[in-house]
Amino acid sequence: MDLFFKYITLQDPNVRYVALATLLLGGVSGAVGSFNFLRKKTLVGETVAHSMLPGVLIAFLLSGVKNPYVLIIGAAISGWLSILLVDYITQQSKIKGDSALAIVLSSFFGFGIVLLTVIQSNYGGEQSGLDHYIFGNAAAMTPVDSTAFSWVSGLVLILVLSFYHSIKSVVFNLEYADAIGINVRFIDGLISFITILSISVGIKAVGIVMMSALLIIPPTAARFWTNSLVRLLLLSGFFGALAGWLGAFVSYSQVSMPTGPWTIVIISLIAFISMLFAPKRGVIYQRWSKLLLKRRINEENLLKTAVQNEVRGGGKLFNRRSISQRQFFEQRLWNRTVRRLRRKGLIKKVHTGFTLSTEGRSYGAEIDRRHKIWEIYLQRRMQMSINLVHDEAETMEHFLTPEIEAEILGELGLCSRFNPLLEIHELVPDRPLNPL
Amino acid sequence: MDAFWIIVTGFLVASSTGMLGNLLLLRRMSMMGDALSHAVLPGIVIAYLISGSRASVPLFLGAIIMGVLTTLLIQFFSSKGKMQADAAMGTVFTFLFAVGVILVTKFAGEADIDADCVLHGEIAFVPLQTSSFLGLGVPTPVWTLLILLGLIQLVFWVGYKGWLLTSFNSEYAKSIGIKTAIWHYTLMASTSVATVVSFESVGAILVIAFLVVPAATAYLITDNLKRMTLYILAQGLLSAVFGYFLSEWVGGSISGSMAVASFILFAGSFVWSKKRGLKSPL
Repeated sequence: MDLFFKYITLQDPNVRYVALATLLLGGVSGAVGSFNFLRKKTLVGETVAHSMLPGVLIAFLLSGVKNPYVLIIGAAISGWLSILLVDYITQQSKIKGDSALAIVLSSFFGFGIVLLTVIQSNYGGEQSGLDHYIFGNAAAMTPVDSTAFSWVSGLVLILVLSFYHSIKSVVFNLEYADAIGINVRFIDGLISFITILSISVGIKAVGIVMMSALLIIPPTAARFWTNSLVRLLLLSGFFGALAGWLGAFVSYSQVSMPTGPWTIVIISLIAFISMLFAPKRGVIYQRWSKLLLKRRINEENLLKTAVQNEVRGGGKLFNRRSISQRQFFEQRLWNRTVRRLRRKGLIKKVHTGFTLSTEGRSYGAEIDRRHKIWEIYLQRRMQMSINLVHDEAETMEHFLTPEIEAEILGELGLCSRFNPLLEIHELVPDRPLNPL
Repeated sequence: MDAFWIIVTGFLVASSTGMLGNLLLLRRMSMMGDALSHAVLPGIVIAYLISGSRASVPLFLGAIIMGVLTTLLIQFFSSKGKMQADAAMGTVFTFLFAVGVILVTKFAGEADIDADCVLHGEIAFVPLQTSSFLGLGVPTPVWTLLILLGLIQLVFWVGYKGWLLTSFNSEYAKSIGIKTAIWHYTLMASTSVATVVSFESVGAILVIAFLVVPAATAYLITDNLKRMTLYILAQGLLSAVFGYFLSEWVGGSISGSMAVASFILFAGSFVWSKKRGLKSPL
């Protein structure tokens, strides 16, 4: 805890660069990753990141120093080449996109490893630290690195802001963007450019093998919370920054721990939590609303059938057997549904069975009414045969809002207080009982 | 003699992973091979830690479990979690790989593996651990890889018809009652096993390269599945030989050089197929 306090208050001057750099990095790559995410091209980042190894090393060989700017430029060039090569392979042969990605990735990275081993055996101390590019080491960040990070982040931000609307159109609807006169090729290149830029600055801190995760996972997590692009960008950037910052803390507090893996584990946890608990799109919410829907459908079916039995002279009393003749209820389902309906006061228990309360009767009648409205609609407007409309209406009766109802009634030329219980037999001949 | 065993190892890895890569390529799942080879890492480490040795059986089990688990997780995330398919894959394998690297770092002393060895492998050390056979010192990894190759050939040729159908036309296969899911999981499990077994001797880079590049090379030359497997074996052999001499020449990593050699062969077949105009709409 003490250590954590020391970390967030930035007392240790070394921490300042690391914290700032990882924060910026996470934020920028989270936001940039959103564009690739929305274009369903997330795995491009994986290939680009791996392909940067030879670029970094060649830049080192040519310049002879580990100047971050030089190495970033080297990385960016070979990342760019890898994208060009993937495009070339997919356009000029029958190899598909994902195979091309895998081919370029493994070849560039293999070449990089050859270069790395050659450099390691031929150069002395000046090369040490180059292998950090593979797994990442934020602790080795220098002030120069942080400055480079800030410049690049600023550049990415300016580019995104100044071309925001064009990028948005291209990401969501390429054809439309092309039609309204946006230079699609330029914007496409621009997205690749900012992707490459953020990966090339990130690999030193997070590592080549982990970098793609920082572009893939933050937008994946953010997508569970929002439908708007602006919020997706901001949230994704925030998640990325948070994970980068916490990941750097773990590697700060435990000396031997690499930054990259911890950053990825943290951002993955954020994604898992989002997937489970996010409102609307989260798994738990979706399960819960499905359950509620199922319950409602069972309740409505029971009430409706009870009302229909009453109308057909089956008496006011009903039990599982009498309902199941038209609408089958398993014993356990019946017990649960009856319990809920009694709690809501829609049915009452009398000694030999159940009766509908006044509210229950009007609710059931309403469902029956909706059923009939759908049947008539399907029959007249959709030209469906009489034999088929019942089953369709059976599922649709649970979904009819007052607005749609008014519209349908208007279209069918029925009065708004249309009461099917009176007219039913004129329209649809008596149906056979549900064969069980 | 060392050179010979290193080349044999390279060839064995190429031919076993290449056969699977073939199926992955046809199913448009090449990146899945990349994903699996990352995702099995925690399985390897946990198997090492539990069994306390580098014995192959626990490793096999760990690999199969991780492979199927990865596939199931990706499936779950994309169908139940409503994640975009590519994002689900990216999330799952990077997460598992990160967990693996953390475990490696944490237990490096006990598990006798380190992160670099996972990447580069120790193909140069292959000739060091030998067991005698007919008066010949045959390296242990060669035995393991031979068994692996045998198993994969068995799985491939026994299920040849099924592979053919499910890879080329899975809709049709489904409609005539073939359980495509079983084939899918078999492929995933075999890929994980091949990855893990090869990992030990050649490292992750070469596994990923050999999973896709030989298959892609062969795919550009022919449309016939049987002929493709033949070309894959040839490609693997050539990559192993050229790669070894390349590494001798430049003095760099053997695995990396084999990956580069493999790519050069791919480039050759790419140029050749372009000249021939074999670009089919498939």
